[in-house]
Amino acid sequence: MSLQEESETPEIESGETELEALLDDLIVDTDDHENAPAFVIRPDTVQETLGRLKNEAGYDHLSLVTAEEYPDRYESIYHLKKFDDPTDEVSIVVPTDSEKPVSESAEPVFRTADWHEREAYDLVGIEYDDHPDLRRILLPETWQGHPMGLDYDQDRPQMVPLRENANPLQDDHRSDADSDTMFVNIGPHHPATHGVLHLETTLDGEQVVDVEPDIGYLHRNEEQMAQNGTYRHQIMPYPDRWDYISAGLLNEWAYARAAEDLADIDVPEYAQIIRTMGAELCRIAAHMLAVGTFALDIYGDFTAIFMYAIRDREKAQNILEDLTGQRLMFNYFRLGGVVWDLPEPREEFFEKVRTFVNEIPDALEEYHDLITSNEILQMRTVGTGILPEEVAKNYGATGPVARGSGIDYDIRRDDPYGYYDELDWEVPVEDGCDNFSRLLVRMREVEESAKIIEQCVDLLEDWPEDERNIQANVPRTLRPDDDTEIYRTVEGAKGELGVYIRADGTEKPARFKIRSPCFSNLQTLPEMSNGEYIPDMIAALGSLDIVLGEVDR
Amino acid sequence: MILQTESPLPDVLADLLGLSGFGVAGEFVAALIAAFIVGNVMLAMTGVAGPWAKRKITAKFTDRIAADRIGPAGIGTIPADALRLLSKELIVPEGADRPAWDIAPLIVAGSAMLGFAVIPMGSGIQLADPEVGLAYVFAVASIASLGMVMAGYASNNKYSMLGALRAVAQNLAYEIPLVVTGVSVVLFTGSLRMSEIVAAQQETLISVGGIAIPSWFAIVNPFAFVLFLAANIAEVGRNPFDIPEAPTEIVAGFQTEYSSVYFVLLYLGEFLHIFLGGAITAVLFLGGAAGPGPESIGFLWFVVKIWAFFLLTQWLRSAAPRLRIDQLIEIGWKGMLELSFLNLVLTAVIVGVVA
Amino acid sequence: MIGILKGMATTMKHALDGNTFTVEYPEVAPEVSPRFRGVHKFSQERCIWCRQCEDVCPNDTIQIVMDEQRNGEEYNLHVGQCIYCRLCEEVCPVDAIILTQNFEFTADTKDEFAYNKEQLKNVPWYKGSDPLEARNPDRAAWVGEGAGEVDYQ
Repeated sequence: MSLQEESETPEIESGETELEALLDDLIVDTDDHENAPAFVIRPDTVQETLGRLKNEAGYDHLSLVTAEEYPDRYESIYHLKKFDDPTDEVSIVVPTDSEKPVSESAEPVFRTADWHEREAYDLVGIEYDDHPDLRRILLPETWQGHPMGLDYDQDRPQMVPLRENANPLQDDHRSDADSDTMFVNIGPHHPATHGVLHLETTLDGEQVVDVEPDIGYLHRNEEQMAQNGTYRHQIMPYPDRWDYISAGLLNEWAYARAAEDLADIDVPEYAQIIRTMGAELCRIAAHMLAVGTFALDIYGDFTAIFMYAIRDREKAQNILEDLTGQRLMFNYFRLGGVVWDLPEPREEFFEKVRTFVNEIPDALEEYHDLITSNEILQMRTVGTGILPEEVAKNYGATGPVARGSGIDYDIRRDDPYGYYDELDWEVPVEDGCDNFSRLLVRMREVEESAKIIEQCVDLLEDWPEDERNIQANVPRTLRPDDDTEIYRTVEGAKGELGVYIRADGTEKPARFKIRSPCFSNLQTLPEMSNGEYIPDMIAALGSLDIVLGEVDR
Repeated sequence: MILQTESPLPDVLADLLGLSGFGVAGEFVAALIAAFIVGNVMLAMTGVAGPWAKRKITAKFTDRIAADRIGPAGIGTIPADALRLLSKELIVPEGADRPAWDIAPLIVAGSAMLGFAVIPMGSGIQLADPEVGLAYVFAVASIASLGMVMAGYASNNKYSMLGALRAVAQNLAYEIPLVVTGVSVVLFTGSLRMSEIVAAQQETLISVGGIAIPSWFAIVNPFAFVLFLAANIAEVGRNPFDIPEAPTEIVAGFQTEYSSVYFVLLYLGEFLHIFLGGAITAVLFLGGAAGPGPESIGFLWFVVKIWAFFLLTQWLRSAAPRLRIDQLIEIGWKGMLELSFLNLVLTAVIVGVVA
Repeated sequence: MIGILKGMATTMKHALDGNTFTVEYPEVAPEVSPRFRGVHKFSQERCIWCRQCEDVCPNDTIQIVMDEQRNGEEYNLHVGQCIYCRLCEEVCPVDAIILTQNFEFTADTKDEFAYNKEQLKNVPWYKGSDPLEARNPDRAAWVGEGAGEVDYQ
């Protein structure tokens, strides 16, 4: 079934032909994913293929690397997109042998593949040639087996003899014997690491020579938990727990979008508006916390700004509680819509939302007085934690991190979903590439979210009563067709949050892979902080705004 | 040449208790009793400031209610907190350099207490009044940096060492502007003796509509006042200069390995230093214990002034970010040093012109 | 310098205006919205033992034991393990299990949180309000007639 022989096939659309012409000699087979054309290539041609796609066809965003094990082979899938146009996607499928799964690493082409491939090795077991540092990333070094592989024994004891573990008392010969660098472990118990993150830092005096994030302390294997749940109901509570800092609805939307597109479910317009409103409320809450904790890192413990940010977040959470029933783990979306209409009496609810939205400009004024116009903070954040645009693209950074480096990339506008393309709002982009720009981007996004919410409320108020359809008619058990795969992304609070699902005809997914924005963003930390001082590294970490639930899943 | 010392409070006590008849021994005992009283008063104030006042003040800034359960308005938090802190287990880290590690908190707290010995607190309370009072106070207060370095280095912990290095760099950088600005006050008074500095500020500067504004040096030379405040806050190690104990970066800096009694000593020692800084500022720039009303309630005004300084540090804690260590050192050596020398020259010119 | 002073002025304004955003719990009970998902309450009269709740629960928190004649014997729900997603209430065709607004529950050990049928029946309403009113609208979306194919498996 290979189309290698004919380079001109009139029935295929021109875009695909161009790609096929480009990759003519490398394609072994084609596959059909719901979201993009997929090309199967040989495992030793990965760098060549990706290099051509990146340099000649312009696919500069490696969004996700999925790894899965089939009964007869292993497969890595590279999902490529363009920063300029995220709807233009292509997937590269790399099958490898079942006995000895080795394929070429994509790291020389896309830096972001570094961690993604380490995770694939860790959880599934595929090895990558040419990878600079292939070790386990999420699980401990001494873990036996690969959990997402098909023949993993859960009851196998994980106790290993002592000699397998790294010796903590051994002298550290990381650097040369004569250098005077000091090795410090920052975290996992630390007031500033935003969760359980372990940074292995090598210091030269007060300057950071090398920092290596060690993640996996919050790894719950959410992907496998989703693979054990039915599409219709059981998976939906889990996305709340990825980015758990009140961005639950945004995470749920990622899953809802992927599953709905997979099973061809149409969401009624009324539900889309409610979804948009809820998602933007979540975004405000998440950004408030991000700004608050960033201030905490720079101002010290008793700062008033953190408290004010939490107070504003409380107001958003109160509204979300009225709407969904919970303040943090919403479980509000369902496939096909949302679970509840707006709370009765509707006028009261609209009143509350409008009061909240009207208070936001004053609150932001206050933050500008306290934070952004403060000279000391400007001294601390302007010009520190620099992430140049090209480096950010290479690392697959998205969200406020990318927009703070001048990359104009927002899935809500470029690959629209929900009701975003019918509303009037802007995407804030800053050129500074430093901590200060990221802070400004977040604060401006809060303003924009307030605008969106206001428009949604106006629409919802005038919606005719008999057309208030909150959920499409979805069968109780959802069984998408066998062997269909889809990858969809949404703009989560921290960046591009994506879900890849492969269905096999049952009511549970065969493979569920999560593209976590914080995972790719965190990889940029060494770029931002090598050569800087410790306080700058802490500030950079704060401005990345990572949530370990999402990094580790 | 012996430092000429008058000892107002011990003399008063000796007379009261009839110890003057015993010669030097009697004076010594009276001095001990006086020191005991002053020390306790200061510690009591720190005790109120640490567990209770700090929490209430930061709560006010952040729209919260804090510490209002135990006792009226939460005052009972103080004995509760004291009991809690003292009942904790004293964990000695492995490899800590023992005598140094134990002595360091004592040095930090003790140096502040020593400083209180020469401060005129009004109402006749002053432990000793040597001729070199001001120099003594600065010298003694800076012994605390030695304590911090000892604490940091002896803890056998990289975070503590980082904190200690930062602390010593900061203290060195800001000590000189502090002393030089203080010396500019001496140019006005012509004497290092604390009581004379206070006395020199009693004259009326100008009379505005019937209210006599005294010639406090803060009003005479506000530039020096602001400089001195900044240098003082940097010496004490409070926002925006609190990088030696930046909790979000190096956990607790040099205090990381201390628990129970030692932690209490370090914690209260920090507050004692704040109060000492406030006391020095009050004496040098705010007229000591001067205030409207009879002289016998001067002590109240003194307390008001040092609490005002404490409030200022808490206010800054809520609102000012901290500077990075290299920026801080830069400001110290390149900014404050020049400004303080400039201030000195200016003051000399003013004194020469006016006098 | 001005920026710092502006910041200081803002915090001082907050200090002096005397508003507090926090409340003194438990004297002042917090506002809980009618849809809040708290501890479950079970109604044996309504339950038809269809086991839908057990089936849909994402982490196997509900455990139902039946005898040979398919009579319900035990209904166990571990409120410590539950993630309060409310799917059990949503799929129940007869509203036999409902999440009250009650969030004040304590136990001494984790095992005490495995509530059995009697404990679930006795869970108090939060401030005496029955939240079923606020949740009624959603039942139609689930057990409703709609155009198109509906799978009743």
